[in-house]
Amino acid sequence: MARPLDPLGFEDEMCPVCKSRKYLNPDIVFVFNPECYHSMCLNCANRLFNDGPNQCPHAGCNKTLRRKGFRSAFFGDLAVEREVDIRRRVAAVFNQVEDDFETLQDYNNYLQMVEDLTFELVNGTDERRRQAEAQLQAWEAEHRADIERNKKAGREADEISRVRLAAERDAVRQRRIEAIKEAEAEKRERVRSREMELDNLAKGTTAMTAEPATKVQLKRRGQVNRVAETASNPAIATTGMGTGASEVERLSIRGLKEKPKAPAPQGPYDPFGGMDFAPSRYKLHGGLSHPLMEKYRLDRQHVAGGYSFDDFAARALYEAFAGLGVFVEDEKEVGSGIGLSQETSMAAGIAAVVDADKMDLD
Amino acid sequence: MANSPLVARPTDALQPPKSLPPSSGGTPSGGLPRSARGQQIAALARPTMDLMEQMNEDEKNKYIKGKKLGEGTYANVYLGHSRLDSSTQVAIKKIKVQKEYQDGIAPDAIREMKYLQKLRGHANIIILHSVFSSKDQNLNLVLEYLPLGDLEMLIRDVDHVRYGAADIKAWMGMLTRAIWWCHDNYVLHRDIKPNNLLIAADGEVKLADFGLARSFADPGVRMTANVITRWYRPPELLFGARHYSGAVDIWSVGLVFAELIIRAPYLPGNSEVEQIALICREIGTPTEENWPGVTQLKEYTVPSDVVPVAGKDKYMGRFGAVGSDGVDLLTKTLVLDPRRRITAREMLEHRWWKADPKPTPKHDLPKKTAGAEEKLAADLKRRNGMVEDDDVRGSKVARKLDFGTAR
Ligand SMILES: Nc1ncnc2c1ncn2[C@@H]1O[C@H](COP(=O)(O)OP(=O)(O)OP(=O)(O)O)[C@@H](O)[C@H]1O
Ligand SMILES: [Zn+2]
Ligand SMILES: [Zn+2]
Repeated sequence: MARPLDPLGFEDEMCPVCKSRKYLNPDIVFVFNPECYHSMCLNCANRLFNDGPNQCPHAGCNKTLRRKGFRSAFFGDLAVEREVDIRRRVAAVFNQVEDDFETLQDYNNYLQMVEDLTFELVNGTDERRRQAEAQLQAWEAEHRADIERNKKAGREADEISRVRLAAERDAVRQRRIEAIKEAEAEKRERVRSREMELDNLAKGTTAMTAEPATKVQLKRRGQVNRVAETASNPAIATTGMGTGASEVERLSIRGLKEKPKAPAPQGPYDPFGGMDFAPSRYKLHGGLSHPLMEKYRLDRQHVAGGYSFDDFAARALYEAFAGLGVFVEDEKEVGSGIGLSQETSMAAGIAAVVDADKMDLD
Repeated sequence: MANSPLVARPTDALQPPKSLPPSSGGTPSGGLPRSARGQQIAALARPTMDLMEQMNEDEKNKYIKGKKLGEGTYANVYLGHSRLDSSTQVAIKKIKVQKEYQDGIAPDAIREMKYLQKLRGHANIIILHSVFSSKDQNLNLVLEYLPLGDLEMLIRDVDHVRYGAADIKAWMGMLTRAIWWCHDNYVLHRDIKPNNLLIAADGEVKLADFGLARSFADPGVRMTANVITRWYRPPELLFGARHYSGAVDIWSVGLVFAELIIRAPYLPGNSEVEQIALICREIGTPTEENWPGVTQLKEYTVPSDVVPVAGKDKYMGRFGAVGSDGVDLLTKTLVLDPRRRITAREMLEHRWWKADPKPTPKHDLPKKTAGAEEKLAADLKRRNGMVEDDDVRGSKVARKLDFGTAR
């Protein structure tokens, strides 16, 4: 085997046979044969080898090449291409795994031996390369059974993890689909109950009309609490957040000043990261009642599933404030981290693709 | 609430007409015949729509898209930077068009957008900078760029990444604050796991991937039980509960905590049945005594040999590295009965945070080593026998590392 390739000749991108250049002929495709890694253009390869095996046209190379063996390079550098081919071949023969060895030391020695041999195959002189090649073949002959076994085990392991991965992906997909169905079912349910409410109103039924009254009450109470809270907790006014609050619904952090950027926290560690104003936000004065809560409070599925009625009550209050639109003015002036204009343009981006209805997920 | 949080108050004037994409066909509408309605909308919406398109165009032009960072099931993620200031880097998540949906827009992309917008402003939630649509109606989310990988990479790279109790405390603090913020805003995340916890350049951990998030449900409203990746899924969901709370996320947080300590998934079940068996074996068998009502859950089945609930002693053996207070917190996140499981707020009030050692300042936290990602990719491939797609992480690396696999 001649000293392989001529990287410069390749980078020059000139076919050594017909002398076409990439520069003048941008469509030219180069191929090589791993027998000797000498490259030439596809036209020449076809012309020279279509009628059967022939000698490599590179000066001094006397390898006999077949058309079938030619391929285009994956790497720009044919030296790399060749090394990868060699390593792949070595890896197929030396496919022992750690479990095949008594000790880690033995395994490491084995890896070192394989690496040394690979190095000779890649970089050695003709003589040493021949030696390494002979060693490789000897090992292959001697360990044929082991090699086959490891190859099979490898394939099986691959197959198992492939199947597992596919199942995992399916599961992810399934979860997404169910979350979507969940949202759709809820939307339908909401429409239905709204219609029912309207029906009942029309019929003058009282059962449902009780609910709006409760809501109003919640609103009032909540409003009072909220005002009290701001007055009694001056800390809130100064503990802003880095980039600003979320939108519309988050009344409690509205209109707060931006936190002056990090005078590095020298004090004791604050697990809440300087944002704990919530406990004083809504005081739930027990006895809070809501028809939905009464209906399900003792339902086994809610109880065992861990459903939290306290969370529901808190949220009902919170949404009641949001509904009243308290402090909207404040927010306009001070703005949260996401400026008005930014928010508007974001909305525009969404609107350009999404039907507004779709935002109504749950 | 009347306003969706995304198309929020200040933009009311810009609200798109409800039946925007023509392909959506039969948007339910009032009694107007279709043609009349169309005209009406056209008349009303014309100037608005041009404005919307213009704004979208402006938004899109603010960013220049660069190389691909990664690929998920629903999106390709690209590095990008601001046109005005090339030092401002962002991640652009381009949602793949999905044929299944009428308008090609995946509902989970909308979900992600909606909740990221709602939760904006917390240091431990990934920032959504902007949203725009590109040609062929592709939705692009412009996200904060988080260059230091995710917690899973750190946990798995045992050869190069060393960390200790103070680091775990810092990471757990950030994760717990993130989930507290979600719950305080009445949002369930429903997919907490180490690889959804991304790491910013300054070491801050950010919760990402809100594709399964939802608002807390009203009483009586059924939620799907099929959420959260199996290893992090709480027993109530494995038993098919349809009315649950933030406690589902807390269980996941507990398992991330455990995994940070032992540097391997704590309960890696290969199936749901096995997952339940693992929970019973490691944590204890759910019974009416320790969890009133549990036997009424639709899919309640447990192995017949009942294991008593593990005491703190049992956990000390395996998780003692975070100290007695840390183990106490861990056990409270892994309480079987969701109603007695600790809440995010209570977690932050726990004494562990104030105990020694102090959490490591974020800038000093261990980071993934250069090449950790490549190594991980190689390991994965070795395990999975997969060749990565050409453009995933730079073809040369992928191919070079893959000598064993036949071409
Ligand atoms: N904000 C970001 N900054 C930097 N890289 C990111 C960011 N978001 C995502 N990536 C990279 O892009 C990849 C794909 O992200 P994506 O969130 O779409 O999918 P995923 O979470 O890996 O999988 P799936 O969506 O299927 O659950 C990630 O694995 C990560 O390498
Ligand atoms: Zn030629
Ligand atoms: Zn030759």
